[in-house]
Amino acid sequence: MKKTIIKTEKLCKTFSTSGIQQHVLKNLDIHLVEEDFTIIMGSSGSGKSTLLYAISGMDKPTLGDIDFAGKNLSTLNNDQLAVFRRNHCGFVFQQIYLLDNMSVLDNVLASGLLVNKNKRELVKKSKELLKQVGIDESSWFKFPAQLSGGEAQRVGIVRALINSPKILFADEPTGALNSASSERVLDVFTNVNRNGQSVVMVTHDIQTALRGNRILYLRDGVICGDLQLGAYSEKENDERQEKLKHFLAEMGW
Amino acid sequence: MNIMYLAMANIRKSKSAAASLFIFIVVAALLLNIGLMVITQINAFFDRKVEQLNDPHVTIMMNQASYHSNFREFTANQPGVTETEEEKSINIDMAKFIFGDGELSSSVIIFNADAKRRMGPLKLVEKRKPSSTNEIFVPYSFKTSGGYELGDNFTITYQDKKYEYRIGGFFETTMMGTNNIGVMKFMLPEPSYLKLVDELDHQSEGMVLSVMTEDQTQSSKLKNDLIKEFQQSTEETNSYIEGLDVELVKSVNTLTINIVATILVAFAAIIVLVSLIVIKFRVSNSIEDGMANIGVLKAIGYTSRQILASIILQFILIAFSASVAGIALSYILMPFFGGIISSLSGLIWHQTVDIMINLVSIFLVTFSVVVVTLLSAIRVRRILPVAALRGGIQTHSFRKNYFPLEKAKGSLHFLLAIKSMLAHAKQNVMILLIMIALTFASIFSVVLYYNIASDKTAFVNLFGAEPANIYIAVKPDADTKGLLSNIEQMDHVRKVNIFDLIETRIDGQTVYTNVTDHYDQLENNIVYEGRQPKFENEISISWVVSSQINKGIGDTVEVEFGNEAGSYLVTGISQSIGNSGQVAALTMGGMQQLRSDYKGSTLYVYLDGISNNDFIKNVHEQYGDIIIETLDIDENIESQTGMYTAAVFAVMLMVLAITVLVVVMILYLVIKTMIIKRKKEFGVMKAIGYSTIQLMNQISISFLPVIITGVVIGGLLGYFFTNPMLSILLSSAGVKRLDFIIHVPIILMICAGIFILANIVSMIVSRRIKKISAYGLIAE
Repeated sequence: MKKTIIKTEKLCKTFSTSGIQQHVLKNLDIHLVEEDFTIIMGSSGSGKSTLLYAISGMDKPTLGDIDFAGKNLSTLNNDQLAVFRRNHCGFVFQQIYLLDNMSVLDNVLASGLLVNKNKRELVKKSKELLKQVGIDESSWFKFPAQLSGGEAQRVGIVRALINSPKILFADEPTGALNSASSERVLDVFTNVNRNGQSVVMVTHDIQTALRGNRILYLRDGVICGDLQLGAYSEKENDERQEKLKHFLAEMGW
Repeated sequence: MNIMYLAMANIRKSKSAAASLFIFIVVAALLLNIGLMVITQINAFFDRKVEQLNDPHVTIMMNQASYHSNFREFTANQPGVTETEEEKSINIDMAKFIFGDGELSSSVIIFNADAKRRMGPLKLVEKRKPSSTNEIFVPYSFKTSGGYELGDNFTITYQDKKYEYRIGGFFETTMMGTNNIGVMKFMLPEPSYLKLVDELDHQSEGMVLSVMTEDQTQSSKLKNDLIKEFQQSTEETNSYIEGLDVELVKSVNTLTINIVATILVAFAAIIVLVSLIVIKFRVSNSIEDGMANIGVLKAIGYTSRQILASIILQFILIAFSASVAGIALSYILMPFFGGIISSLSGLIWHQTVDIMINLVSIFLVTFSVVVVTLLSAIRVRRILPVAALRGGIQTHSFRKNYFPLEKAKGSLHFLLAIKSMLAHAKQNVMILLIMIALTFASIFSVVLYYNIASDKTAFVNLFGAEPANIYIAVKPDADTKGLLSNIEQMDHVRKVNIFDLIETRIDGQTVYTNVTDHYDQLENNIVYEGRQPKFENEISISWVVSSQINKGIGDTVEVEFGNEAGSYLVTGISQSIGNSGQVAALTMGGMQQLRSDYKGSTLYVYLDGISNNDFIKNVHEQYGDIIIETLDIDENIESQTGMYTAAVFAVMLMVLAITVLVVVMILYLVIKTMIIKRKKEFGVMKAIGYSTIQLMNQISISFLPVIITGVVIGGLLGYFFTNPMLSILLSSAGVKRLDFIIHVPIILMICAGIFILANIVSMIVSRRIKKISAYGLIAE
């Protein structure tokens, strides 16, 4: 039996724009378990990213509780959330957001040194991770502007993984990449998940979603579908694709 | 799209930055306008006053015994003389009265207020009503600097006798209206005047010869010629003949005003410089931030010139409107500076609108803004549309990864702060320059204040005054050397010197000559090149005299005293603001060459561990019969420097206030701009787990080295260059070398103050980081 990492109870998020209230997440009760590769799908404006950032401690819910690794995130202030994120979460963004005045290696170390003070150990780990995602030594001292989109995103994944987070959160990580680069980035996600890393990813791309083993479908702030797809296997890709398409069709995709 | 519309849109987009710049330029234009108006108007103001008050261009004062009936005729026959007038007066050599914070000893000329006169008639600017019997009319400086009001009691002490009056009115006069000329003018109603004449000895019966000339610039020469002639023609052995000319009085009275105005202009230049640096920073930033917009404008056909015009126009609009506002504001503040001018000159300053100077101020500020904006924005011409549309990737320059985290030693936040500092080198150079300029300006003003208001030794030394404690005038028939030996034996006396000041003529110039045998014992060595005289055939002269007679060290000069003359070898060049810089020094032996029975008549006493008043009391008790009078030099200095203190204090306060304002605004502007520019970066850092306080610390630490370096360089410049700069400012007044005391602890305190202020501001402004949420970044 896998352990639950995140559990939400009646999670609500409401935005107020010019006095008009918009209920983006409505009373969500979600359980996310360790080692899962959870995909959050839904149409534009359904609240996918809002859910991702609420459960990762990047944003505060309007109502409800989020239990993450035994801590109720709703009760933490901004600085406590920052400390929580650095210890337990890794983030990969669509726009990548590497710090452009730092080299590749410094981008990774700037995150790692927040948690691990053993620089030697951290440098070694950073280099190993960079190698694992296909960033060779010649690029370690380059600046982000000197990398391709795919390379930069793989550096982003290493930065997210450097502190061995409980969950790796990814918000449409291949959204700004071409298909070849996307494939390489998704392979990295698949590999880290196979090594036991829990992943929660927002996407609206079917090929990307196939990498997950669980699909949550969100519509108007409510989870209206939960598909168990099983662990990713290239051999079963067609079968998984068929199953996912059927699920999505049911959801009105 | 209209260029004006683009410029206005740019201003609206960065309202707070535009507002800060507006304030800087308002302050700069304000100071510049006030400084330039004062510098350009002060001489004309003085000349106008001379004309309005019908004051004489030359005044010769003497005792009636020295006066000869043909002096007036002789004067009237001099070339250029248009009018002469003679009038009896009471001339008191050393009157004492309270002035400002102390007791002032000064020569006093008292006129009959009811006598008819054409030159320098009594024009009261304030009069007490109803008048009383024992009233006295005094110069307006008694109100502005002396601390008197109408109806106040006023006591003149002369030869230990007190003469009590009440202030009945204040009058303006250009000639003897302030205490820095050495002689002051009072007026008494006829009954009081005649009563005083009866009470005083014959030596006080004076005569004043007033002269009006065609060309007042020739007044100095005329005065010298007249004094020489009168001294030679008088049969009186104890003659007293002194003179004042309008050019001398003008230069003495306007000196401090000019220095204050020059400091205002210099500080305005610093503020303009700061504004220009800010503009350079803002233009560079706006080009980088708006690179894509520039690309779009170029792509749709805007020429580089049009884009440049839109950038320049916004700064012209700010600079022009701020200059106009600053100039309008300067007229509101001008009465305050008018008050300083009145207190320094004893004349009422009437502010007039000077359109020409206003236009020059606006032009100087706006022109420098246009030039700097143009130079900063010119690179727009070289940017290709395609490069601009790509966000100007070619403008980024990542030459080096400074302090790589892998290898660099130090805490993470420190290293990230240093990286940030080096990544924003241009901005930090700007802050560095501003911190240097402001620290220097602050040190300059505080040193000025310290030396004029707190420890006045160096300031007093500039006047050539010897900083002893007590001055003792010895009776002519007394044994001066014997008295010196006796006083030396008294308790608490550190040393005593014979130190006289007599009027001589050197190669035809009237020169005030010090006489002593112990120049090595003096505490103010005014010789800055060569040495003071040691032997009877030697003399030192001031550089003013040196340039007047075109002689220097090694040359021989002819010194005249009375009807005697002798040749002396120049051994040193000295400096002095006092006596218009026309000073020299002889030994006792040297003086005896001109007057064989010369034995000195003034003792300078240096005390230790006793109050001046107690000593004066003791010395009068013991030797009162051979002393004409004593003077508390410290109190006299206090009284004479009071008006400078007020003026310099105002300047210092202004400089410090503006420094605080500029430091706060610059750091606010820079940090705010930086946070906005790096919003994405800070958002990412928050997302990966950096807390607000960690980021705030990083921002503060990233400014720390720049602020420290700026403050240290500014401090060093202040330490090493304050005296040379002041020397340049005062060179026109006769100063060649200046040794104002620069206390290292004071400099350290100023530096620490600026440093602490800068850090507090950077911490407070960087709190804006709190508002950036990681989610806000993503949502954007």
